[in-house]
Amino acid sequence: MTTTDAAAPAGVPWFEPYIGPYLARQDWVQLALGQYGAATVWAQLVDVELLSAGRPGLASVLVEIDGRLFHLVLGWRDLVSAPGMLAGRPGAVLGPAEDDEGEVLVYDALADGELVLELLAVATGGRERAGHARPVRSLVSHSSLIYDERLFMKCYRVIEARTRPEVEMVTGLAGAGFAHLAAPAGHWQRGGRDLALVREFVPDAIEGKGLAETSLRDLLARAEPGSGTASFEDVGLAGGDLGPEMRRLGAVTAELHLALAAAFGRESDGAIRLHGDYHLRRVMRCDRGWIVTGFGDDPLLGTKAGSASTGEPLVDSPLVDVADLCRSLHQVADEAVALRTPATRPHARQLADGWERRNVGELLRGYLATDGIGELVQGEMADVSRRVSELAAERDR
Amino acid sequence: MPRRTPAAPRRTPADPRWYERAVFYELSPRTFFDSSGDGVGDLAGIRAKLDYLEWLGVDCLWLLPFYPSPLRDGGYDVSDFMSVAPECGSLDDLSALVEDAHRRGIRIISDLVMNHTSDVHPWFVESRSSRDNPKADWYLWADDDQGYPDVRVVFVDAEPSNWTYDAGRQQYYWHRFFHHQPDLNYDNPEVVEAMLGVVRFWLDLGLDGFRLDAAAYLCKAEGTTCENLPATHEMLKLVRKEVDAAYPDKVLLAEVNQWPSDVVDYFGDGDECHMAFHFPLMPRMFMAVRREQRFPITEILAETPALPDGCQWGIFLRNHDELTLEMVTAEDRDYMYAEYARDPRMRRNIGIRRRLATLVDNDRRIAELLHAFLLSLPGAPVLYYGDEILMGDNIYLGDRDAVRTPMQWTPDRNGGFSTADFAQLYLPPLMDPVHGYQALNVEAERRDSSSFLHWLRRMLEVRRDYPVFASGSLEVLSADNPSVVAYVRTPRDGAGAGDGDGAGAERTPSVLCVHNLSRFAQPAHLSLAKFGDCTPVELLGRVPFPAVGARTFSVTLAPYGIYWFELRPEDGAPA
Repeated sequence: MTTTDAAAPAGVPWFEPYIGPYLARQDWVQLALGQYGAATVWAQLVDVELLSAGRPGLASVLVEIDGRLFHLVLGWRDLVSAPGMLAGRPGAVLGPAEDDEGEVLVYDALADGELVLELLAVATGGRERAGHARPVRSLVSHSSLIYDERLFMKCYRVIEARTRPEVEMVTGLAGAGFAHLAAPAGHWQRGGRDLALVREFVPDAIEGKGLAETSLRDLLARAEPGSGTASFEDVGLAGGDLGPEMRRLGAVTAELHLALAAAFGRESDGAIRLHGDYHLRRVMRCDRGWIVTGFGDDPLLGTKAGSASTGEPLVDSPLVDVADLCRSLHQVADEAVALRTPATRPHARQLADGWERRNVGELLRGYLATDGIGELVQGEMADVSRRVSELAAERDR
Repeated sequence: MPRRTPAAPRRTPADPRWYERAVFYELSPRTFFDSSGDGVGDLAGIRAKLDYLEWLGVDCLWLLPFYPSPLRDGGYDVSDFMSVAPECGSLDDLSALVEDAHRRGIRIISDLVMNHTSDVHPWFVESRSSRDNPKADWYLWADDDQGYPDVRVVFVDAEPSNWTYDAGRQQYYWHRFFHHQPDLNYDNPEVVEAMLGVVRFWLDLGLDGFRLDAAAYLCKAEGTTCENLPATHEMLKLVRKEVDAAYPDKVLLAEVNQWPSDVVDYFGDGDECHMAFHFPLMPRMFMAVRREQRFPITEILAETPALPDGCQWGIFLRNHDELTLEMVTAEDRDYMYAEYARDPRMRRNIGIRRRLATLVDNDRRIAELLHAFLLSLPGAPVLYYGDEILMGDNIYLGDRDAVRTPMQWTPDRNGGFSTADFAQLYLPPLMDPVHGYQALNVEAERRDSSSFLHWLRRMLEVRRDYPVFASGSLEVLSADNPSVVAYVRTPRDGAGAGDGDGAGAERTPSVLCVHNLSRFAQPAHLSLAKFGDCTPVELLGRVPFPAVGARTFSVTLAPYGIYWFELRPEDGAPA
């Protein structure tokens, strides 16, 4: 069921009757409301904007349910061409409706390979065009598309009252000159609400965790029976040594913190706004070096990069981020050791510990060698290393 | 004066862009095959092995210097530019070799050492004889050794300076390489004309072009590194102009050990060199395999600029020199030494003097993987003689002779290289239990249908069937596994098969290459959506894989596994 608080502009087919049942089927609505299996939900139209008139047509719709705001991008086509365009996506259909020219099928436009191209132009103010788009798996509260393998758009489904931390962080860091991120290419906002964020897509990027696993796998394989022996001395000599990469990641992390301090300020106790969810799956290696990702949040899943559990931005010592990265290295070591046979685990554990120590050391070396970081993080290597260990233990708890 | 021999009649089809698709085969005439039984390989010996080279499927031979030389630098110290060293044969032997090779569709290029001569070359002998002889300015002389202070020393193991004092003339002369290789002075128009005469001489004899040795150093200017100078480019353009005017389907291949962004200048606007070696790619392929991750390769590909039309990279795994590490960072150099040259004898200058097989610990899977890169990345592949049977090296020989030991043809005396007494041989053949000729030779490899030699020959066939490997664009695909590198070679707009006989209008299919850099089996998920609905057909077995479209294409690769797929559109037309 739908109540109307905002009239749909001329040119938009009469879709309101379908909104309640359609939204009731969506996992992002079910999760947000904690309602599963309902045939419909009570939805109130808040705002409808016609993005593209005619056939096919495109509109952006904001709907409120139980005090929460949701975003839908609707498309419509004539009944002949619509089924072909939506082949394989029957769940995207809202239902038949009428526009000025006759009957049309109304559906979720993110399932329409042509309309999502128009949506890119909308979200970037016409600055970007693409010839091809593909959907990618994403978290619950948004849908993601990749355009021409060069742009990545997050279209937010669940709309928050405040500026999304992701938008705030990405634009803040880019404004502060931080180059180690997928550069923002467009930001779609209406009435102060963030509807979509378009960024550079880095096709060759892979998670830091993958690199770490590859490195440790190489070291541990050298300890397998018949593969020679490996000792602590071999840790830095292993073919897949991660040390230099960790040193570079340390430097990038320091630059991240300097940029965060520049963009969002610094507390009197030296605390700064943090990434807040900083681990090896949030940093990616690509041909141009390391980039930092994972500024995104999913309010439905409780992941809040850059935010404390209260939902407020996480402001703390920059070493908290560093400690989280170190914990991530430890986790990789734990997982790799767990994959060995019981007989080889003790030796693998020793090697993995040596690997972890080396890479934590290189990470801190790269971090502390960065110009300017000394002002944010007081202390020498030994002292910083101890504080990071303490913070990591604290975070583990 | 050398005798001029009429040009050999051409049987290779007229095709001014043949080099773009060619597979080159580099060989050392003195160690390839000795036809005369004097212990030194010769031109007639190469001719005797053309059957084999034709069977292997190479398109062009690159001959290391066969000119008269005191041989203090493997023949790169030339003492007569317009003659054949007696131990290598005669000009008639060269003409016969060229004619026979052309009849088989094989072209031949040779090294042209423009930068310097031997110190026993008559030009230098005359030049050093006084300060006022007719060739006094054919070389670079100075009263002190302070000139060009910004220039690095290349052979750091042997030379303390680029200047050497000559007691007779009581002056210093400049040499970029060894002190017995004085650099020519290209500011002198007589030198320029003399070298153009050398170019004309060999092209008249029927050679198909030159590998231009040390091309970056020809001209010098104070206050510079004397590398890549505008005057050097002007000199090379002059050579190109000379070649284009009278010899339309020849090739100039520049040896420029520099970053791709600098090397690209050697193509000019398509009016300088036809080809140039891509040096930085080579060590990075080895680095990627040892690190089991793709970034060393993809990073350098990302830094490689597009080439002008009609130009091509020359890419290689190993050659007659050391595996040069000049174009890597100090950190990566240390890494490469630690991984590939733990024995100090394996190191030479700024590099590693080892052959492919020993670099990869004789692991055939890695050798196949590296060759798969060589044959599928943009560029014309250059094979090094002996690598097709995974020959080893001898690090106890001096300088770079470690990688120039005689070709191993048979399990017989001297590996079938020569019937001379062992003590007479130019270099000793390998006789160790792993790489020695008794264990490893062409005869045995040809009889074993599952040998590396047969595998490589098959890969060359496949490459020939898919001209997109030679001329297509390259797009690295997103893969979620760092150990997997995947790329698509796609025909450029308007580019076709182009086989030299005018059949170039037909559009060729795109090819997907997926390679596993790890010694462990690896999964990969690739997005091929932009290529539309298509069926990947594996090229070696013609096995169709499940069709892909918007869905992710998932493959599982064996350790060091290789897949090459033709991307065949669902409607059957080439992609």
